Amino acid sequence: MAMVQPRNLKYRVWAARLCMILLLCLVMFPFLMIVSVSFRSGNFATGSLIPENPSLEHWALVLGIPWEAADGTIMQPTFPVLTWLWNSIKVSLITSALILALSTTGAYAFARLRFRFKDHLLTMMMILQMFPAVLALVAFHAFFNKLGNFIPWLGLNTHAALIVSYLGGITMNIWLIKGYFQSIDNALEESAAIDGATPWQAFRYILLPLSVPILAVVFILAFITTIGEYPIASVLLQGADQLTLAVGAKQFLYAQNYLWGDFAAAAVLTGLPITIIFLVAQRYLVSGLTAGGVKG
Amino acid sequence: MAEVKLTKLNKSYDGGKTFVLKNIDLLIKDGEFTAFVGPSGCGKSTLLRMICGLEEISSGDLELEGTRVNDMPPNERRVGMVFQSYALYPHMTVRENMAFGLKLAKMSKDEINQRVEEAARSLQLTHLLDRKPKAMSGGQRQRVAIGRSIVQEPRLFLFDEPLSNLDVALRVQMRQELARLHNRLQTTSIYVTHDQVEAMTLADRIVVLSPLAEGAETNLEQVGAPLELYHNPCNLFVASFIGSPKMNFFSASLLETGEEQSRVKLDCGTELTVFNNTSSAKVGDKVTLGIRPQDVLNHEEECGAGNCITGTIETIERLGNESFIYLKHPDIQEAFIVRVEDSRRREPESAFRVGVPAENCHLFNEAGQAYPRTRSPRFD
Amino acid sequence: MTTPADAKGLLSGNGLKWALVALIDTALLYIIAGMYAQGEILFALTLLVLTGLGTWIFTSQKAYSYRYVYPCLLGIILFIIFPLLYTFNIAFTNYGSANILTLERVKEIHLEQQVRDSEVAFGLALYQNDDNYQLVLTDKSNKQAIYTTSSFVPAEQATEVSATAGNAAAGKKLSMRDVIKQRSALGMVTVTMDDGSRLVMTSLREFGVMTPLYREGDDHTLINNQTGEIIRPDMTTGFYVNEAGEQLPPGFSVYVGMENFERLIEDDGIRQPFIKIFIWTLVFAGLTVAFTAAIGLLLATLVQWEPLRERGVYRVLLILPYAVPAFISILIFKGLFNQNFGEINMILEGLFGIRPEWFTDPFLAKAMILIVNTWLGYPYMMIICMGLLKAIPDDLYEASAIDGASPIHNLLYITLPNLVKPLTPILIASFAFNFNNFVLINLLTDGGPMMSGTSTLAGNTDILVSFTFRTAFIAGQDFGLASAIATLIFLIVGFISWVNLRATRNLQEH
Repeated sequence: MAMVQPRNLKYRVWAARLCMILLLCLVMFPFLMIVSVSFRSGNFATGSLIPENPSLEHWALVLGIPWEAADGTIMQPTFPVLTWLWNSIKVSLITSALILALSTTGAYAFARLRFRFKDHLLTMMMILQMFPAVLALVAFHAFFNKLGNFIPWLGLNTHAALIVSYLGGITMNIWLIKGYFQSIDNALEESAAIDGATPWQAFRYILLPLSVPILAVVFILAFITTIGEYPIASVLLQGADQLTLAVGAKQFLYAQNYLWGDFAAAAVLTGLPITIIFLVAQRYLVSGLTAGGVKG
Repeated sequence: MAEVKLTKLNKSYDGGKTFVLKNIDLLIKDGEFTAFVGPSGCGKSTLLRMICGLEEISSGDLELEGTRVNDMPPNERRVGMVFQSYALYPHMTVRENMAFGLKLAKMSKDEINQRVEEAARSLQLTHLLDRKPKAMSGGQRQRVAIGRSIVQEPRLFLFDEPLSNLDVALRVQMRQELARLHNRLQTTSIYVTHDQVEAMTLADRIVVLSPLAEGAETNLEQVGAPLELYHNPCNLFVASFIGSPKMNFFSASLLETGEEQSRVKLDCGTELTVFNNTSSAKVGDKVTLGIRPQDVLNHEEECGAGNCITGTIETIERLGNESFIYLKHPDIQEAFIVRVEDSRRREPESAFRVGVPAENCHLFNEAGQAYPRTRSPRFD
Repeated sequence: MTTPADAKGLLSGNGLKWALVALIDTALLYIIAGMYAQGEILFALTLLVLTGLGTWIFTSQKAYSYRYVYPCLLGIILFIIFPLLYTFNIAFTNYGSANILTLERVKEIHLEQQVRDSEVAFGLALYQNDDNYQLVLTDKSNKQAIYTTSSFVPAEQATEVSATAGNAAAGKKLSMRDVIKQRSALGMVTVTMDDGSRLVMTSLREFGVMTPLYREGDDHTLINNQTGEIIRPDMTTGFYVNEAGEQLPPGFSVYVGMENFERLIEDDGIRQPFIKIFIWTLVFAGLTVAFTAAIGLLLATLVQWEPLRERGVYRVLLILPYAVPAFISILIFKGLFNQNFGEINMILEGLFGIRPEWFTDPFLAKAMILIVNTWLGYPYMMIICMGLLKAIPDDLYEASAIDGASPIHNLLYITLPNLVKPLTPILIASFAFNFNNFVLINLLTDGGPMMSGTSTLAGNTDILVSFTFRTAFIAGQDFGLASAIATLIFLIVGFISWVNLRATRNLQEH
């Protein structure tokens, strides 16, 4: 490539660098601001990026610890943020595990077994995943409303209902895992069969251990998608203690009750771990993402 | 008695429209080393996979030790198989690879260890036991794959082109090892290869398969001991497949028929005497005359009066101890190959006359079936 | 041949499996029976079919392959296909807050209505015997008719007691003051008399007979017991109507045919905002794709430009907006853009002396949405473009350098033509995603500022899905209309995915 570069390279590099840095300022501005706000005292205080008199009040409140203000009044936490965080993590972990289990077995069948309508089912899944669940919110609401009459723990305002309704999101994952399975030599499982393994044992002891990378990607993708899911959760969950973070976080910023500082602390507290997971797994996720369409 | 019996075995797709294998009848005796050979697409691997249960049997019977096993899943057949790609489990060490089947069979740890160590010793794998397949050479992987089936003490060994991924030198060495292994274990073995040299050197018996021709009754061409196939191929297909370089074929017609000897006339006009029983044929029938490059004589004076063919030298391959001369001849489309034992320089485009001993000739009718040779060489 | 050991293993494995299948089936059958008992025949039948199918698949050797597919297919059927069909179904009904029940349930509610029979009244006296209480009731029109109830413990829940003739109460009679103390508990008591009539407390001193207002007539009609008036269900509006034509709530849901769709076309108060919202949805999705793709491509080129040594750092930092969960970033922006306390207006005021009204001016609100969405969306495009740029062979650029091409030439004649094909399906998918980007709108502006003069609540920044959501869950709970809009969106998305499938196929062919 060296010969392609023109002579005035140095100036152009510096111009690019300047653009980059300006742009990065724009990109990073909200993040830096929110960290700064979380350490300010009060919910309406304004100030510079580095707070003049940093305070931990928002962090304490978000962590559920009452905070004694300078004038002696005790502030109680407004929202059960830690409960919400726990709800989110619980729902996301269970959902991801179930999605992983369902899509792995499904992908195995699509990659290895022969059965009728296989190609039709695959095409159908490709098309179905284009329809967002947002459009069927009314149906979800009505469905779980009814279901709750027969199975109370699967009714509205239960985490079980939320988890179950997320299970529709397996189609893309089936495609992802299926592609990976197909890249593994079929002879390995045949060899296992000759060695005396039942199809299930061949799947369990040979194919699964070899597919750990893609399973990790699918699990993390499912986790990130679920933890940020808003529409279904906002329709199915109602009680303040049942909410997930995505639904609950909105409540900090109602015009009547504007808790900017508390929100900032909650956002940093919950956003940071998810962001770190994403960045660590980024290298492995990118391939999955490029194959998997838009994050939603 | 690990005897394998195939009766009218068929493999077809599209609900019986396309056949891959048709009417395969075969009996493989206990302890026998059998090779399936044939060009690619003849279904030899499919046949092997049907025997171990990886492919469904469309119709017919497969018996193992006298029991019909058509519907028995592969994991219950107690056979061992070495795959072309070795199919070693990449996430397991050599030891784990070899112990995998034994663990599934819920064998005790001590016995597993003992069997694995013993197999590893016999295959010189002991120092590699804790390595993963990725860190090994092709030959080592090959031995692990063999070891993995040995430890199971299967009723039957199956080899699916096991040496085709190795380089030539290693292939010869592994061939020797396989032969020694079979001598030692005496387990019934079936070996699939497209390389007739491997089949000839390893097998007690060879099964020649051909790609199924339109309307053919079966694609099982001939079953027999290696030398039987070499000396007495029962049809054109086997004759051309066995032997290297290939047998030369001339189109000809019968001049005289007879039980002991016959006389044929090549299309170019040359007349030859051959020791083949043509009593079933009529004078004037179209026939094909076959002669192996090794069976011609380049000393004209030695061949019987008139039993000679003349061609024009095209190219010569001189290998030192022997030379192959490629001759042009009007009755052969490709080249008429002749082996001579000297490496003298000969001028291209000059005429070359070779003797065709009557007892070395093969003769086939129009349908490709052989007329029996009456003076074929003796062999055990 | 199977050795005895094998047979034993097989048997025990099977035993466990059968036990598990039996357990699950029993649980499901229990639920099915419950559904059937409550009259949800369709639900019960569906579940029964799915259960039967599942049982067959997991026990029959023939269906072995389907064992692996069935669970995931079940998920797809229940949570993608079923909601789709259900939504279509609702689109043709008037299902909504006013008509949320079934006809059967509404009938039950009417039949449960009770009126007091004014002619029969009993005076009451309350006797206490430790914790147990008894009522003595005296017929006001016939002082000789005295009844005593079985004893009960007053509680804040419905209590049933029976009464027998005669005064047989134990304990001491309570004064009026003590009776008043037990007022609320007595209000929950229903007394069943010998003749089967039921009494409830009608005043502090009286128990009276309650009779149902309606009795059942033919063909779902109800007959008023007092007036003899017949009320009948109106299957077009979903209400019971009396003879004067008045609707008696609550309503039940009925099929209304194309009415919801007709409202979208004919009702000006709905049609005008709908068309506005539709146009804005297209503009929003289109501009988002254009902005994110342009910025993404530019940045992808920059972070892969070799002379820029520190490009690895840029790459990680630039991906950040994608790594942070969207709901957090959107809410952060909601705070930063806040007109009064937001940091953005603070900076703008400091620099230029302006305070844009991001949330009350329709145009500025739309601009803000596009800014935020571009910020959210460009990293995805950048990641994609990075992959695609790497796939363009270097020798193309080397060849063009030998031909003396400028960077502009390179972009126009090498980079772009090589990107267009593989990028098209991704741009379409991104368009479809943003077309339905409910989270952004709902969290950032919630559709606001609101439009005025519309018969259903609609916002200036609403896109179709957020409008649907509002119609369904916030303003009036008009599920039927919302589903009709959702059905239209389905058709649009279906069309987009069809186009996308063609684009992808086009790509694969090259």
